[in-house]
Amino acid sequence: MRRALWLVTLVLAISAEAAPKAKGAKRESLLPFPMQVSRLKNGLTVVRVKWDSPGLLAYYTAVRVGSRNEVEAGHTGFAHFFEHMMFRGTKRFPEGSRGNALGKLGFVENAFTSDDVTVYEVDGPSAALETLVDLEADRFMHLEYSEPAFQTEAKAVLGEYHKNASSPGLKIEEAVLGAAFTTHTYRHTTLGFYEDIQAMPTRYEYSKTFFQRWYTPDNCIVIVVGDFDDEKLMALVEKHYGPWTGKAATVTVPAEPPQTAPRTASLTWTTPTQPRLGLYWHTPAAAPTTSDAAVMDVLGDYLAGPTSPLYKSLVLEQQLVERLGPSADLHRDPNLFGVDARLKEEAHRAAVEKAITDAVAQVAAGKVDAKRLADIKDHARFGLLMQLETPAQIAVALAWHIGILGTPDALETLARQAQAVTAKDLTAFAKKHLTANNRSTLVFTVDAKGGGK
Amino acid sequence: MKRLAAAAAFALAACATTPEKPLPKDAAHITPDTLQELVAAPPPAALPVPYTPLPPVEPMALVVLPVPNKAVVSVRLVFRTGSVDDPPGREGLTALTTRVLVEGGTKSLSSSQLLDALYPMAAELSADTDKEFTTIAGRVHVERLPRFLEILGEVLLAPRFDPKEFERLKAEQLSTLKNRLRGENDEELGKAGLDALLYAGHPYRHVTIGTEKGLGAITLDDVKAHWKNVFTQARLVIGLAGGVDDALARQVKQALSALPADGVVRKPLPPAPGVRGAALILQRDTQSTAGSFGFSTSMRRDNPAFFALMMAASYFGEHRQEHGVLFQEVRDKRGLNYGTYAYAQHSRQDGWSSIPLPNIARSEQDVSIWLRPVEAKHGVFATRAVLHFLHELRSAPLPPDRFETARGFLVGATRQWVLTDQRRLGWAIDDRLYGTGDFLGRLRQALETMTPEQVQAAARRELAPELLNFVFVTKDAEGLKQLLVKQPPTPITYATSKPAEVLAADKQIASQPIPVHPELIRVVPAAEFMRD
Repeated sequence: MRRALWLVTLVLAISAEAAPKAKGAKRESLLPFPMQVSRLKNGLTVVRVKWDSPGLLAYYTAVRVGSRNEVEAGHTGFAHFFEHMMFRGTKRFPEGSRGNALGKLGFVENAFTSDDVTVYEVDGPSAALETLVDLEADRFMHLEYSEPAFQTEAKAVLGEYHKNASSPGLKIEEAVLGAAFTTHTYRHTTLGFYEDIQAMPTRYEYSKTFFQRWYTPDNCIVIVVGDFDDEKLMALVEKHYGPWTGKAATVTVPAEPPQTAPRTASLTWTTPTQPRLGLYWHTPAAAPTTSDAAVMDVLGDYLAGPTSPLYKSLVLEQQLVERLGPSADLHRDPNLFGVDARLKEEAHRAAVEKAITDAVAQVAAGKVDAKRLADIKDHARFGLLMQLETPAQIAVALAWHIGILGTPDALETLARQAQAVTAKDLTAFAKKHLTANNRSTLVFTVDAKGGGK
Repeated sequence: MKRLAAAAAFALAACATTPEKPLPKDAAHITPDTLQELVAAPPPAALPVPYTPLPPVEPMALVVLPVPNKAVVSVRLVFRTGSVDDPPGREGLTALTTRVLVEGGTKSLSSSQLLDALYPMAAELSADTDKEFTTIAGRVHVERLPRFLEILGEVLLAPRFDPKEFERLKAEQLSTLKNRLRGENDEELGKAGLDALLYAGHPYRHVTIGTEKGLGAITLDDVKAHWKNVFTQARLVIGLAGGVDDALARQVKQALSALPADGVVRKPLPPAPGVRGAALILQRDTQSTAGSFGFSTSMRRDNPAFFALMMAASYFGEHRQEHGVLFQEVRDKRGLNYGTYAYAQHSRQDGWSSIPLPNIARSEQDVSIWLRPVEAKHGVFATRAVLHFLHELRSAPLPPDRFETARGFLVGATRQWVLTDQRRLGWAIDDRLYGTGDFLGRLRQALETMTPEQVQAAARRELAPELLNFVFVTKDAEGLKQLLVKQPPTPITYATSKPAEVLAADKQIASQPIPVHPELIRVVPAAEFMRD
């Protein structure tokens, strides 16, 4: 429960498909629901969506903080660790009693942290809304935990690291980020550097600073989806969150200097698995005022999605690659766009790399298949509607997009921008960003007996 | 009830419909007072768990759950076929056949054209093969439904059987076994290990994707034959939900009536061996120790006594929820790992979801405990902690407040389990497969009047520690084996201060006997797991 880096992937799947009607179409909502947005005097944003889920609702809180905010040396992984601490209680509901109170009422809880946003999820009965608002406001305003509890939870985070470390995914992410970023906090994963996780038990005082810095009303968005009385909800929110004070801190996240030469992230695995290749380029931040994120979404599918010539050639025809896919996440600051390939054999590495770079060069040269571009937009349009089936799915999609882009209509904005992407946009993006000197290459090899050649 | 295997003889008294077969004398609690007693004793006798088939369902039974004004249609086809239908020497055939159907193209569409056709609709078409059932699930926007149904029909009725796709999918399945299962996921490896340990010589033993040897032997002709044998009307339940009506349901049923009426009739499964006190240590180069513990049982959800057992497991270790005893004791108080959970029936992690996966019905069930990776040096202590709190569950009164939390959670969470159309269909189809009627509704009803005493009684009857078997995935397998054989005290120290009651419990935990018999401990390199 609780922490779930993986949810990010789930949510990205939603965002990748978030795309609505074509440019110039009537300005009707692309989302299958109306949305109400209010801002309290203290800066807290409250987003509500009525949804046909009799007796049930999703109550999510997005905090605009993630591993991006971990600017101090030795404190990587703190945003995620802190997410764990948010379950540790308050003066009114100490250690465990909050979880018990919610459980008794039939609520299911979870949370996840990403590079840019931390999301707290509660799903359950509308009838207990009053208690829920009270309990959620209480922990965001009055979190309190002892140093031993803090130290114990740090060990659970270490356990989470160990849980993830048996798969190459975490180590690959560490290697790629370490190569691509020299300065920006995106250099470390959301879990943080291993040595920093080991040192977490000593950071009790810092944890209080972290809470004061980022868990402020102007840095949080409450999202409620499902079956509820809006007037009653807003009255409860005003009552319980109204007295919350504080302003989010300003820290300087160091900007990543432009990359000027190709880089390589090398990693060798000593147990059986398959070799991998990844090509990653620095790309612009996601922002409501630019269409870069939407272009990147569409370009990912165009280059390496299941209907791309690259996929058909490498996976289906030549069968040099077992799995191929794009890697393009929304980020507040400039991050990476990539293509990942799980090779069948090490010997195919050069051929696969050439095929990917050739495909990129084609787009950069202006050769874009208009039919495929139209299909991608159709896929996005239908996909958006299909992915928003339950209060939880809607709430998490909203939390993710609002948390990163910073505007309540972020999900719709991005969807609309995706529908407006043109062939020229793809070419211009590829030409500008997908260049040799801006690229980091993952060379993941296997040196183990009895597996993955 | 159908329970036989598990512990106490008095369990039978509570279950009038149990197939009567006398239990071995030592079927009651075997709780050695001392470690010496445990080690000196002969290996505990196995308690075979008899097979009771799931109730029959009429061919092509329809489950239709319309949702007015819904723009998305969900189709869920559940076939009574799974890895138990893999012929000996062809382990993995059902899963591979399913993938060849769903991904390998149709007579009119190559695999690549199939992707091209589905993609612009954002239509979903996926397949999952479990031990006894295979699910083919699809979702599509109503605007694209006719074309989607046409494609789905071709997938099942006119597969392409392209040799190249067959080779690709077979190679990928083999790679999943050799690389991903053995080398990349200690936790899933541990769970697969538990199946292998509990079901030696039984069709449940092998993982659904097959064995290295079995997969290697499969030919395209095997796949073609298997398709005709098991993807039949007799084995199919048709589920439809969302923007559907009876006319559409009839249309889908009519189209699928082109499937063979009957194929091969599944033979009754053998009894589960009923091993207990055994351990399997899968050795691989890993930082931590992952654990999966459990035993086979005939207690299923179609038994009225199951409700109390389900509540007991939920109370003890609800999947990925903080209020479970194991979560609080192992993680929250001791920081040993990310979580520890308990399951009253076979459970499979559904991707990243924390919601139980439907349509993995098994006629023979297991109870299990999932110990998520702990630092290797704490592997034995954490195992002992699980046992210590299991004993406590069975002996100390359940605190009413904690009981109410677990009950409230289960009542609320079961409503969350059916929020998508696919999940609603899945549970409704399971109701048919198990013959329970509305299982979740009945569970909630049973919870209303359930008492802590009843739940504890269920734990006493059904959750005897002596029935457990232990699977570990770890690096120092021989070292762990020695610890399990000799069972020296394994005290723990913390860098931080702990409450007195935690330290007091730790003292007992450090010497808690692990009911594993030295003769039944095996070490297997992960690289050799599921070779044949």
